[in-house]
Amino acid sequence: MLGELLQAVAMDPWERYPEGSARLLPSPGEGEDLEDLRLDWEDHVQPGLRHHFDLERVVVSDDLAGMIQLKGKTPSWTLEIPPDHTDAWLTTLNALRLALAEEHRFTEKDLSEKESSDLSTERGLALMQVNFYAFIQECLLQAMEDDSGK
Amino acid sequence: MSEPGLLDAPEADLLESLDLPWLVVVHNDPVNLMSYVAIVFRRIFGWTRERAERHMMEVHTKGRSVVWCGGREQAEHYVQQLHSFLLLATLEKSS
Repeated sequence: MLGELLQAVAMDPWERYPEGSARLLPSPGEGEDLEDLRLDWEDHVQPGLRHHFDLERVVVSDDLAGMIQLKGKTPSWTLEIPPDHTDAWLTTLNALRLALAEEHRFTEKDLSEKESSDLSTERGLALMQVNFYAFIQECLLQAMEDDSGK
Repeated sequence: MSEPGLLDAPEADLLESLDLPWLVVVHNDPVNLMSYVAIVFRRIFGWTRERAERHMMEVHTKGRSVVWCGGREQAEHYVQQLHSFLLLATLEKSS
C-alpha cells in the first residue's frame, strides 16, 4: 500500500483535487491598491508557478519510474532520490499535501491527531496520505540538514 | 561633479525609496511543516538558523510574521519566491 501511495505522489493535483489545488496558487494580497497586482499575478505569475510545479513533478515521476519492488515475504520497495532532486520532491510532496488538506478541509487538530485515521473512509485515507507524505518530507529535510553539516 | 549619494544614485533605487514601505507577511497554515518553513526562510532571505526559526515560530504561534519590509517591486519578488515554495505569503502596505 505504501508503494502505491508513493507512486501517487506524481499525480497531477489540479486533475485529482480540482478544489483543493486552489490553495497552490494563492493571491498576493488583499485590498484595492493591490487589484492590478492580483490581475497581473493571475495572468503571469500563477501560470509560471504552475509550470514550475509541473516540472518538479516530472522529476519526481522519473525517480518513481526507477522504484524497485523487492521480492520477499513482505512486499518492500527501494527508491533512490538523488540529492539534487530533493527540492523537486519537497515541492511536489508539499503541493499534494496542501491540495489534499484543502480538498478535505483538514484542520490543525485533524493533522495533529495522534490516533490512526479510519482507513475505511476516503477522508481517513486522505489524512493518512497527508501524514505519510509529511514523514517523507521530514526524512528529506533531515538528510538536507545532515548534508549541510558535513 | 554630482553630489555623492544623490544624483549618482541609480534611478531604480531612487524610485524604490519613494515607494517605501511594503511588508511581506507569511501566514500560518496547518499543513506546511515547521522545519520546512524555516529552511525556506533561510534559503530565500539568507538568514541564520536562529532568525529563521524565530520567524517560523512567530508564524506558528501568532498566525503571521512580517519577514521583509521595503520597496514594492522587491516585496512582490519575495512573495513570488515564497509562493514557489507554497508558503502563504502576502504583500501589505505598511500602516
